[in-house]
Amino acid sequence: MYSVADIDVEICGATKCRLCTQFCPEGNTILYDEIRGTAYVAVDRCKGCEICVGICDDLAKHHAIKMVPIDQIKEGFEISKIGFKRTLVESE
Amino acid sequence: MSLKTINAAPGFQDYLPKEYQDLLEDGPFFKQRKVSELGSFKEVIEEHPMCSGCAMTLFIRLVYLGLPSLEHTVICGTAGCGRLAISQGAVPFIYGNYGDTNAVASGLKRGLDIRFPDTPKDVVVMAGDGGLADIGFHGVMHSWFRKEKFTTIMLDNEVYGNTGGQDSGMTQKGMVMKMAPTGKKFEKMDMLGLAKTAGVAYTARIAPTNPTRVANTVRKAVLIAREVGPTFIQAYTSCNIEYAIPTPKVMDDARDVEKDRYGFVEYFSDDAKAYWEESEKERKRLRKAEKK
Repeated sequence: MYSVADIDVEICGATKCRLCTQFCPEGNTILYDEIRGTAYVAVDRCKGCEICVGICDDLAKHHAIKMVPIDQIKEGFEISKIGFKRTLVESE
Repeated sequence: MSLKTINAAPGFQDYLPKEYQDLLEDGPFFKQRKVSELGSFKEVIEEHPMCSGCAMTLFIRLVYLGLPSLEHTVICGTAGCGRLAISQGAVPFIYGNYGDTNAVASGLKRGLDIRFPDTPKDVVVMAGDGGLADIGFHGVMHSWFRKEKFTTIMLDNEVYGNTGGQDSGMTQKGMVMKMAPTGKKFEKMDMLGLAKTAGVAYTARIAPTNPTRVANTVRKAVLIAREVGPTFIQAYTSCNIEYAIPTPKVMDDARDVEKDRYGFVEYFSDDAKAYWEESEKERKRLRKAEKK
């Protein structure tokens, strides 16, 4: 079992800070939904390093990202299955 | 002459891999993306086997963002951790043998200039401290002495990371590693000083604590290399495995090391300074004209 980053859409959507997208070491992993104004995670790409948690807690001070065991994430976004999306609004 | 490098044959686009289709529709080609746009477009770097929380991966990701024209760039690398990610980027990657990256890049750059005289083609060497300061040292130095017009980026993790932790020329003096149990005997090599002595047009030392600065520095180095001469970036990209840095603390470590001994410095030669100031003025003038 391993944990991946999970972003609280409500807290994140209120800030629109985008810092986590800039510090994630993996490409195409923390994506940004322009319509909802929130970052979201491609769970199949996240390697669970927790850098984004540190950035969100210490640098941005928003506390919107938590590490969650992968089996507790329901309907996580998987970029390898769905492909790149500018927004997830249509698929909701 | 026009050679559209990133394109799909009509009728076949639907059969291409999803990642390729995404790159065609939402990729960073033919337009300069900003750091603030990350997450809103498909990045060139695909899934790769580099370690979780690796600062080198972050730096490589930001280098791709900083390159001024991705579709006209060739990256040269060699053995080391970095190539695991660089080889998964949708930018041509030439794998030089250990020691000859800068020789390969020199030939490549000269060849591209002859083949495409009207299109600026950028060559960027991106390899580790072992590949550039130790084993590739002679190639690096001679490419600088010959004033070859390409950028050399050293991903300095201060260790031979994927062979078990041997000390490199760039390791700090006294550092005890798994495969250097008595500690490094000599000082860290002064590659920035060597670059200046060799007449490199632009040198910079940077840590990946400020993504915008990383992207801007890479862009600056590549643009100066196009017109003036060789450029060099030395980047601190910690190895969290060999230096036993817990992954959530990787950015804290980068900030500490940056504060302590790896602060951002850049050096322009006189020609590079004159060129850069002139091109900045030109860019400002164009921006003003666009606004009007």
